[in-house]
Amino acid sequence: MDDAIKLIFDVMAFASIMVLVVSGLAVIASLMGIFNLGHGEFVLLGAYTVFLFREWGLPIWLGMMVAPFVVGAFGAGVERTVIRRLYAQPVIAMLATYAIGLIIREIVRGLIGGQYYAIEEPLSGSFQLGGISFSVWRTVIIFATVATMIAAWMFLTRSRTGLQIRGALENPALARASGVSTPKLYSVTFAMGAALAGLAGALMVPLFSLSADLGVRFLVQAFLSVMLGGIGTFIGPVAGGGMIGAMVPGFQWLREIPGVAEQVSPVMAEVLVFVTALIIVKFWPNGLFSAGRR
Amino acid sequence: MRSNDSMTRRGFLRGSSALAAAGWTAAGAGWVLKPTWANAAGSIKMGIATDITGAIAPSGNANWQAAQLAVKQINDAGGILGKPVELFLEDTASDPGTAVGNVRRLVQSAQVDVILGGITSAMREAIKNPIVRRGKTLYIYPQLYEGQECTEHLYCTGPTPAQQCARLLPYLINEKGYKRFALPSANYIWPQLLNKWARRVIEENGAEVVMEEYFPLDQLEYSATVGKIMSEGVDHVFNTVIPPGLQAFMKQLYEAGYYDKGGQTCVYFDENSVNYVAARELEGVYSCLDMFHTIDDAYSAQLISEYDALFPDTKYLFSAGSAATGMYRGVKLYEQAVLATNGDLARDATSAAMENAAIKEGPGGPSRIIPGTGHAEMNMYIAQSRGGKWDIISSETTVPPQECA
Repeated sequence: MDDAIKLIFDVMAFASIMVLVVSGLAVIASLMGIFNLGHGEFVLLGAYTVFLFREWGLPIWLGMMVAPFVVGAFGAGVERTVIRRLYAQPVIAMLATYAIGLIIREIVRGLIGGQYYAIEEPLSGSFQLGGISFSVWRTVIIFATVATMIAAWMFLTRSRTGLQIRGALENPALARASGVSTPKLYSVTFAMGAALAGLAGALMVPLFSLSADLGVRFLVQAFLSVMLGGIGTFIGPVAGGGMIGAMVPGFQWLREIPGVAEQVSPVMAEVLVFVTALIIVKFWPNGLFSAGRR
Repeated sequence: MRSNDSMTRRGFLRGSSALAAAGWTAAGAGWVLKPTWANAAGSIKMGIATDITGAIAPSGNANWQAAQLAVKQINDAGGILGKPVELFLEDTASDPGTAVGNVRRLVQSAQVDVILGGITSAMREAIKNPIVRRGKTLYIYPQLYEGQECTEHLYCTGPTPAQQCARLLPYLINEKGYKRFALPSANYIWPQLLNKWARRVIEENGAEVVMEEYFPLDQLEYSATVGKIMSEGVDHVFNTVIPPGLQAFMKQLYEAGYYDKGGQTCVYFDENSVNYVAARELEGVYSCLDMFHTIDDAYSAQLISEYDALFPDTKYLFSAGSAATGMYRGVKLYEQAVLATNGDLARDATSAAMENAAIKEGPGGPSRIIPGTGHAEMNMYIAQSRGGKWDIISSETTVPPQECA
C-alpha cells in the first residue's frame, strides 16, 4: 500500500513537470499552428530568471513568481518581431523558432560560463505522512500544475478573450470582420505559451540543475506529448504530456514486477517511453484526444 | 568570482576572468600560459585537456588550476633543466564529442610534448587515440578510475579500484556492519567495471548486493530506484552516479529519508563535491582517496595553502576526487621523467623514463610509477563527511595500484 501511494505520488510529480512544459507548447501549437522549436529555451529562460534573482540576492520564490511574466513579455516580443511575419509559412516559422532557441541557448551558455548551477528550492526537504516521506517541492509542483492548468483552461474556454482566441484561429477572416483584432490576440496567445514555459522552467529548476541544455532535455518528450495528445485543443497535448510524464517514472516502477527488472534496464525503460508513444501515434495518427475535433 | 564579474562578460568561459588575471592569453580556440621568462633553447610544451565547462566543470577547473600550481612551482624554481614549461589549455566541455576536435588541436597545432587531462573514463576513451596512437604523444590521465587501462605511453596518476576499495569495503562491512548494498550507477565504463570489483569484495566479505542498476548519464527521474532502495532494506548505497544525473539522484535519495536509514559511499566525493550537491546530502558519506584536506601531512597542507594563495577567490578546490591531486602528481612525475632523459622530449624517451619516475613529496604523500604498469603507487585515506569536513578514519602508505602487472 505504501508503495502504491509512493508510486502515485512520484508519477504525479513527474507528470506535472511534463504537463507544465507541454502546456505552453500546446497553446502555441494548437491555437496558432506554430511549432515552437524554441520552446525548450523559453523553459530555460524561466529557469535563468530564477538564477538571476538568486545572483542579485533576491528571494528565489520571487524569481519564480516573476519568471512567467519575464518570459511572457519576451515571447510577445518574439511574436511581434519574427513570428508575426511567418504565419503563412509554418515551416519557415518552425525554422525561425529553432534559430531563436539556438540563439537564446548559446547566449545563456555564455552568460553562465557553460557551468551547471544547483538552485535551492524555496521550500526544501520532505514531510512525513503515514510513515512515508514526501518531497515538499514536488508536492508544491503538483499543486501549482493543477492550479495553472485549471486557470489556463478556464481562460481559454470561459473568458471572452479565450473565445476570441479560439474564434480567431477557426476563422481569422470572420473574426476580423467581427471587429476582433487578430494580431493582438496572436501576441497574447504566444505570450501566454511563453509564460507557461517560463513557469515550468522556474518551478522545475530546483529539482535538476541550471544548465544551457535544460530545455533541450525536455523538448523531444514535449513534442512527443503533443503528437500523442493531438493538436487542435489545449487539453489534448496537455493530456499527452501527462501520459509521457507518467510513463517516465512509470516504466521504471514496472521493473519492480518480478522478472521484469532482468529484462528491462533503466536505459531500456527510457527507450520504451518513446517506443510506446510511437506505437500509439501509429494507430491514432491524429492523437488520442483529438477525435471529433477539427 | 561567483558571477557578477562574468555576468557582464558576454559569451565566454566563466573562468576567463581568472585566466586573464593569471596571465593566460587566448590562442585560437584554446588558451596559452606563457612562462614569465624564456630560454633561447625553447620551452617544454605541456597540454592540458580538461572539462572547463559542462556538467563536471567544477572538477575540470580544479584540474587546470592544479596544473598551473605545479607548473608555476617548476618555473619559479628555474624550469626543467633550464627550460620553462609553457601551458596550453583546451576545454573538453564534459562532452567526448566536442573534446576530440579540441584535443587534436593540442597535438597538431600546438604540438605539445605531453598531454594531461580527461576526467571521466568516457572522456579518456575518446581522447586517448587522438593523443597516443594518431598523435604519438605522451598522455597522463589524472583521475581515479576503473582500472584495466594498459595502453602504452598512457600513464595513470589517480587511484585504481584496488587502491580505493580494497580496504574501504571490508571496513564498511566488518566494522560498520553494513550488509545489504545497492549499486546505483551511471551507464558507462567506470561504474560498470568498478561495480564488478566492488561486488566481488562485498560478497567475499559476507555481505550482499541487493541491486545494481545503470542509468543514462542525464537521467532526471530516480523515484523507482530510490523507492527500491527504501523498500528492499538496503543499508549502504555505493553510489557511482555522476553529474548531471547525480544532483537529481542525491536529492531524491535525501528527500525519501534514506539518510536516516543507511550509509552511503561515493569514491569520487571530496572537498569539491559541494559544488555538485547540497551540503546536507553529503553528510555521513564515505570516500576513499589519495588526499583529503584534513590529513596530517605537512607537504599537502603547504600545497593546499599555495593553491589557495594562487586562486584566492576560487570555489574549485585542490582535491583528490576532482583529479586535481592526480594532475599535480602527473606534472611532477613528468618533470622527473624529463630530468631522467636529460632534456630529451621525444615521446619514446620520456615515456621510457616515466616508467621509473618517482616523487618524494606530493599531495597525500610520495608517489612513483610502478615500472611496467603505467600506474602509480600512492598513500590512500578513508574518510567520512561530517559537518562539511572529511574526517579521516584510517590511512595506508604506498598502496600499490595492482593494474596491468
